[in-house]
Amino acid sequence: MLSRLALRSELFRVAPLCANAVRTTQTKPAVATTNESIIVPGFPKPNGQPQPNPYDGPERDLVNFPRMVRLEEPAKTRYLFVPEEWFEVFYKKTGVTGPYVLAAGVTTYLLSKEIWVVEHEFPYVLATIGLFYVGWKKFGTSLAAFLDKEIDEYEASCNAGRKSEIDGLKETIEHQKKEIWRTEAQKHVIQAKRENVALQLEAIYRERALQAYNQVKRRLDYQLDLANLTRTVQQRHMVNWIIENVLKSLTNEQEKQSFKKCMTDLQALAAKA
Amino acid sequence: MAIGDYPAEYNPKVHGPYDPARYYGTPDTPFSQLKLGEVTEWVGRRNKSPKAIAGLFSRAYWRWSHKYVQPKRATVAPLIHILAGSMIFFYAINYGKFVHHRNYKYH
Repeated sequence: MLSRLALRSELFRVAPLCANAVRTTQTKPAVATTNESIIVPGFPKPNGQPQPNPYDGPERDLVNFPRMVRLEEPAKTRYLFVPEEWFEVFYKKTGVTGPYVLAAGVTTYLLSKEIWVVEHEFPYVLATIGLFYVGWKKFGTSLAAFLDKEIDEYEASCNAGRKSEIDGLKETIEHQKKEIWRTEAQKHVIQAKRENVALQLEAIYRERALQAYNQVKRRLDYQLDLANLTRTVQQRHMVNWIIENVLKSLTNEQEKQSFKKCMTDLQALAAKA
Repeated sequence: MAIGDYPAEYNPKVHGPYDPARYYGTPDTPFSQLKLGEVTEWVGRRNKSPKAIAGLFSRAYWRWSHKYVQPKRATVAPLIHILAGSMIFFYAINYGKFVHHRNYKYH
């Protein structure tokens, strides 16, 4: 009991309201998928699914039951209203005058036997025939032209929406074809871009290779300079050390002897000169 | 089959959209191709129930309508048909009164 009350309380009404809000934002109307009540061939069902046309099945017999077509012109008639076929029935048996002879004969028979009684309303028949004849001769052509124009305009207005839509779609197709033609240029553009990128990659590669070469050369040069410097320093040190030790080992006697020797060498040189 | 339903022989999957001017049953020999001796037999084969007769008139009306009324450039012919038909009809129902206006005793 309490749970039922709780379900009916305002707190629990929030959820259905939210569900409704979500539903109204959907693009398609929320209709049960089982609703088959509105089925018109060629139109989508309310749930948005296309529906099969019941007349386009494989068992359709188009030979004996072709599509109905509205006639452009009505069946041929003579004297405004007598079907042409009624005359053609007589032609094989009686020739072209047969139907007229029959009509005249029947009329004469009816009048002479007074089956068709000539009473006070008989002239109305003749008057009606006369009115139709005068109207036909006087207004027939112009009225027909006016009505034809009207019906043509009406049909054009009925077809205008469909026609404009077809024209629009054709225009779109043309536009799309042009766009396809245009996108062929994109192939060349992309090819050029690829080549450009390849060139850039090559340039970067070469730049980096040069950088690596330079770095290696710098390090090698450093090692070379280091080795040379070490050897120079060692050599200088050895030379200094040897000279120092030699000078240290020299005594005064030896210095005097060498000095004397130098003097004699100089005298000898002077004598030669 | 209730009133307003399609004929039992009509099958939309085979026949397509319903043509009210058309007979969907098995067709018999047309009346115009009969020989005189076959006419009674032909009439005996006809279904003479009220529904069938109503269907006959309905098809005749629709055939006439498709021929003269529905075409795009219809003429005044259907109007004259109705006019002439109604003239004959009303002449017929009032014939008992017109007969008294005969002028001659012997014909």
